Amino acid sequence: MKKTMAFLRSMKFGIILLGLIVVLSVIGSVIPQNSEAMVYVRAYPDFYEWIFRLQLNDIFNAWYFNIVTILLCINLILCSIVRFTKIPSQKQEEERAMHAKTAVSLSAAQRQEVIAELERMHCHKTEKDGVSVYAKNRIGYYGTFLTHLGILLTVIFWAAAMKLPTVIDRTCYPEESIFLDDGTEIYVRDFSITDAEGKLDYKSQIEIALADGRTSGPVETSVNHPASFGNYKVYQQTYGTAPRVAVSDDAGHTDLFYLEPNDILSADGKNGIVFDNLYPDFTEEDGHMRLVTSTSGRYENPVYVFTTLENGQQQEVMLAFPGDCMEIGKFTFCFQDPVEYPGLRIKHSPGWVNIALLCAFMVMTLGLYITFFMQSVLVRADHEGYTLLSAKSEGLQIRFRQITGGGSEHA
Amino acid sequence: MLDIIFFSGVVLYFISMSLTFSSVVFKWEKVRKISWVLFLAGAAVSTAYLVARSVKAGRLPLSNQFEFGASFSWGIAVMLMILHYKFKADWIDTVGIAMTFLILSYAAFQPRQINELMPALRSYWFGSHIGSAAFSYASFMLAGGAGIRIIMTEKKNPEDPRLEQMDYFMYRLIAFGLLMLTITILTGAIWAEQAWSAFWTWDPKEVWALITWIIYAIFLHLRLTKKRQRTFLAWYAIVSVPVVLFTFVGVNTLMSGLHSYGMIFRKELL
Repeated sequence: MKKTMAFLRSMKFGIILLGLIVVLSVIGSVIPQNSEAMVYVRAYPDFYEWIFRLQLNDIFNAWYFNIVTILLCINLILCSIVRFTKIPSQKQEEERAMHAKTAVSLSAAQRQEVIAELERMHCHKTEKDGVSVYAKNRIGYYGTFLTHLGILLTVIFWAAAMKLPTVIDRTCYPEESIFLDDGTEIYVRDFSITDAEGKLDYKSQIEIALADGRTSGPVETSVNHPASFGNYKVYQQTYGTAPRVAVSDDAGHTDLFYLEPNDILSADGKNGIVFDNLYPDFTEEDGHMRLVTSTSGRYENPVYVFTTLENGQQQEVMLAFPGDCMEIGKFTFCFQDPVEYPGLRIKHSPGWVNIALLCAFMVMTLGLYITFFMQSVLVRADHEGYTLLSAKSEGLQIRFRQITGGGSEHA
Repeated sequence: MLDIIFFSGVVLYFISMSLTFSSVVFKWEKVRKISWVLFLAGAAVSTAYLVARSVKAGRLPLSNQFEFGASFSWGIAVMLMILHYKFKADWIDTVGIAMTFLILSYAAFQPRQINELMPALRSYWFGSHIGSAAFSYASFMLAGGAGIRIIMTEKKNPEDPRLEQMDYFMYRLIAFGLLMLTITILTGAIWAEQAWSAFWTWDPKEVWALITWIIYAIFLHLRLTKKRQRTFLAWYAIVSVPVVLFTFVGVNTLMSGLHSYGMIFRKELL
C-alpha cells in the first residue's frame, strides 16, 4: 500500500500521465474529432474500424482519456498534500540555518561582498551567536503547492464547466421569440450586422423573460459580449438572411411569409409560386444576367428565383427584386427586402462554475509566478563564509560566485 | 512606406546575422560588436514598424500570421536585449539574432495587408492572449538557442564556467515561457467562453498549446530530478522548439479549426 501511494504521488507517475496526455492529444488533433462516420470511412478506409473501436473519433471523451485525467487528479492531490506538509515554519527555518555548517569559505572581503548583495536584495536579517541568517520571500515555499493545487482545481472545475451547462442553438426572426422547455422566453427585438460606421458588428437586441416572471429588459448581445440574465447566457453566434414575400388578397388582407427553398405559396394548391432561392447579387454580361452565389454574407442586390404555379402546372423560372409584385389568381405577391436574423446560442449553467474556474485559474497562475519568480531565499552567513539553504537558490549561487570569484566550496 | 520600414528591419537583421556568424567563425571581436549594433538598429526599425502599423490599423498588430510573426520576432529581439544588458548573457546573441531574423523572414512571406479586425477578434482579451503567446514562444525559442550554445560549448570545453549560467538561463527562459503560455491558455479560455460559450473546445490550436505547455512542464520536472544532466536538458529544449513552431505555423496551415483567422472567412464564426 505504501509503495502504491508513493508511486501515485511520485513525479515519475505524473510525468508518465502528462506524456500519455500528449500522445492522446496528438492523435486527437490529427484524426478529426466528432465527425460523421462516413468521414472516417472515406479518409481511413483501411483502419476506420479501429478508429471506432478505440474511440479515436472522440478521443477526449474516451474512457481511457478520462481515466488518465482522474489518475492525474489523484497524483495532483497527493502532490499538493506532500508539498503543503513540507512547507517549513519560520522557526524551523531559522533553527536549520543556525545549525547548518558553512558550505562556502570566503575571505573577509568576499564575505562583505556577499552580505552587501544580500542587503541590496532587502533580505530580512536575524543575528544570533555570531551567525547572521538572511531570509526573503517566505511565500516562495508555497509556490509549488499553489501551482499543483491550481492545476488540480482547474482540471476539476474545467470538467464541471464542460459537463454541467446545457447549450442549445436557435435561430429566430426579429420580433419573434424563442421558447425554452423551462418556460423561459427570449424575445428578439432586432438584429443588425453593421454598426453606425458600416463596420461588421453582429448585434441582437433581446429581452429574456425567466419562468419565475423576472425579465431582463432590453439587452444587447454581440460577438464576445453575451447577454447574461439569471443562469442564462445568450451568445450572438451566427446569422442568416431570410427572403420575405407579402401576400395580399382582393379584400386587402396581407400576410408576410418567410421563405425556405422549395416553399410553395398557394391557397388552392394550383395557383401560386414555388420559391427556389434567394441570391445575394447579380452581374450583367452581353445582356445576360448572371446570379452571384457569393458567401461574403452580404446581400447587395438580392434576387428572388421562383416559378409560378398556374392551374397546377409549374411555369418557367422567374426572377424578382425586392419591391416587385405580381398577381397570380386572386392573390398579389410582393417580394420584400430580405431580412437578416440571428442565430443565438443559449447556455444555461450554474453561476458558481465559472467563478470557481476563474479562481482556479488565478491560483494556478499565482502559483507559477511564486514558484519561479518569488523564490525563497535563506542564507546563513558567519565569519567563515556562507551557506545557501533555500532549495531553489541557483540564481543566487551563480550571483555569489560572480561577485566573489568562487570561494572554496566544502563537500 | 510601411513595407520599406519592414524590409529595412529584415535586411538589418540579415546583415547582423551574417556578421555575427562571421565573427564567431573568424574570431573577429570588432565585427561582433558591429553586428550587435546592427541588430539594435534592426530591432529599433522593427519596433517603429510595429508602432506605425498599430497606429494605422488602430489596434495591436497581432491578428494574422504576418502580424503575429512580426511580433513574435520582436519578442525574441526584446528578450535578447534584456538577456544581453540586464543579465550580461551575451553568449546567446548569435543564436538569438538568427532566430529573430528567421521568424521575421517567415513573416515576410505572409500577406501584409491591413485588414479590419473581424468581430470575433474584437475583445479586451485580444492583446493579452496573443501578446503573451508571442513572448511565450520567444522564450521557448531562446531556451532552444541556449540549448544549442550549451551543446556547442560542452563539446569545445566541458569545464567552461559559462555553462552553469547557460543552463540556468535555459531553465529561467522556459519557466518564463511556461508562465506566459499559462496566461495565453487561461485568457484564451476566458475569451472562448465569452465568444463561443465554452472554455475549451479541443480545437487543434488549443490542443497544441496544451501539448506545448505539457512538454515544457515536463522539462521543469525533469530539471528537478536530473539536475546534473545538462546535455540531456539542452537537447530537450532544442527538440521542443519544432513543437512551438508547429503550434505557431503548422496548426494554422495544416489543421482547420476555430483559430483559422486570416486564413479563411468562416461565416459561422462571425
